[in-house]
Amino acid sequence: MKTLADLKKIREKAQEEMKLRGGSVRVKIVVGMGTSGIAMGAREVMKTFLEEISNRSLTDVLVTQTGEKGLASMEPVVDVIEEGKPKVTYGNMNPDKVRKVVVEHIVNGRIVSDYVVATGS
Amino acid sequence: MQDISLHLLDIIENSVRAKARNIKVRVIKDVGSNLLRIIVEDNGTGMDSETLAMAQDPFYTSKGEREKKVGLGIPLFKQNAEMSNGSFKMSSQPGFGTVLTVDFELNHIDRMPLGNLKATLLGAIIGHPEVDFHIILIHCERGREYSFHFETAAIKEELGDIPLTYPDVIEYIDQSLNEGIQNTSMENV
Repeated sequence: MKTLADLKKIREKAQEEMKLRGGSVRVKIVVGMGTSGIAMGAREVMKTFLEEISNRSLTDVLVTQTGEKGLASMEPVVDVIEEGKPKVTYGNMNPDKVRKVVVEHIVNGRIVSDYVVATGS
Repeated sequence: MQDISLHLLDIIENSVRAKARNIKVRVIKDVGSNLLRIIVEDNGTGMDSETLAMAQDPFYTSKGEREKKVGLGIPLFKQNAEMSNGSFKMSSQPGFGTVLTVDFELNHIDRMPLGNLKATLLGAIIGHPEVDFHIILIHCERGREYSFHFETAAIKEELGDIPLTYPDVIEYIDQSLNEGIQNTSMENV
């Protein structure tokens, strides 16, 4: 059974790490979770991002969900936002593509241009 | 949508879009009454009676920024409930929030499966750190009740400024939900 005491340990560990690296969020990932995105598999896309972050212990990545963004024909859609860089939007995503984006883009900083449907602002 | 938990995710996203800060999700499986009930309660902006009626109409959407003015999420959920001899009720008050109660006949042959409840809840909880979720799962069978309560406000308070996407936190929430889902027999429903 998980208890709040477990969380206290996690917090202490995380705070130590944040002291070492300054505590900033390096990458923000936003998964489109409107009705058509969900119907096209956005939940599994979100799930895979969370699995990858957990398995690879990526401590400087944030993932959130948002509503429809008017790209219904390219759902599931994911934005990758890095400080000081143009936003990259990936379309027609699935768990395999998510794993590739995590390795290539999130970890190694190389945009996976084959999956990009929009960039900028 | 292939399963109920995908509809549930769609409904949660509606609540978030309505600026809810508290979302209470109840999933009740009552074998004796042959009932599977989903209740989603939020404190979002709510709807007046006209908007409430339109929300259940397949030719209406609240997503005004979109070109396509057709919102199918709610009408499809309603249709899927009614197909399995169930019911779909939505009540709302502007400024207070919305409550949605969806019933399915548990052993109806046309009832869609509950599906991956954990993926829905985990994504919603971590994907919306600004929202406090209260998850309640209840399983009633042969006069016994098994329940699971999960409140994210307490977790966030304990974490302070550590984000929910911190790897160990994802694992913590994932495991807590797994335990709750197993203890209330919500897998393979």
